[in-house]
Amino acid sequence: MENQIPEDSGTAGGGFWWLLQAISGALLILVLGLHMFAHHFVVEGGLRTYTDVLAYISNPLIFAIEIIFLLVVTIHAMLGLRAIIIDLEPGKGLLQLTNIGLSILGVLILAYGIWLALTLQSLAGN
Amino acid sequence: MEHIQKPVKDTARPRNPLMAWFDVRKRRVGSWAFALNRLTGLGLVVYLLLHLVVLSILLQGEAGWDKFITLARHPLFLLMDVVLIFGILFHGLNGIRVALVGMGIGVRSHKTLFWILMVIALVALVISAVMVFTI
Repeated sequence: MENQIPEDSGTAGGGFWWLLQAISGALLILVLGLHMFAHHFVVEGGLRTYTDVLAYISNPLIFAIEIIFLLVVTIHAMLGLRAIIIDLEPGKGLLQLTNIGLSILGVLILAYGIWLALTLQSLAGN
Repeated sequence: MEHIQKPVKDTARPRNPLMAWFDVRKRRVGSWAFALNRLTGLGLVVYLLLHLVVLSILLQGEAGWDKFITLARHPLFLLMDVVLIFGILFHGLNGIRVALVGMGIGVRSHKTLFWILMVIALVALVISAVMVFTI
């Protein structure tokens, strides 16, 4: 089996981004595994009820784990999209635009996810 | 006089790198793995966004969430869950191989590593599919 990974795949700007992609991927295996198990595989019917979700997210430890999960998955996803775009051999200007666009998208995803989790926590308190 | 041979270019292969993903001519398993890794990655990014949208239903209160739970228990929805799990397993396990090989670990045995990881993925997929349809 030949190694089909282009030598410059996702590495524009240095190997740092490739390493971050690999580290976030490794972390994801752990936190996504936890997320899937806790949310779907040990819950009857595969989904928590409304009350259970609110109670679950109100636990500070779970809240922290879910936010870490969101952070790691967003970093991994944005770096993955960047690697694909780099494979399409964009010009310097387009790559810069991609970096800015993906950074904004990543921050928006994170901000919305954190806001949603905090709002659900406050709903649980009512 | 030394004869320098120019590298032979496959002119039939699409020059656009994206189109080349889908060009299956004379492709080895590594190419399929590369293309599938990218496709599952794109699918998972779309799912991440969808997941946030779905979780927003919780803001509508208990009635809205109960409606979603009813929909989520439809067999077609459960089948989509299995497709999602396939994407996660393939992307995650193949990603381990890509990261290891990229760091120079197991370069010589990456073919074997790929097939071992795919067997693990298959076993995990079957177990997960059974759980999805029986829990």
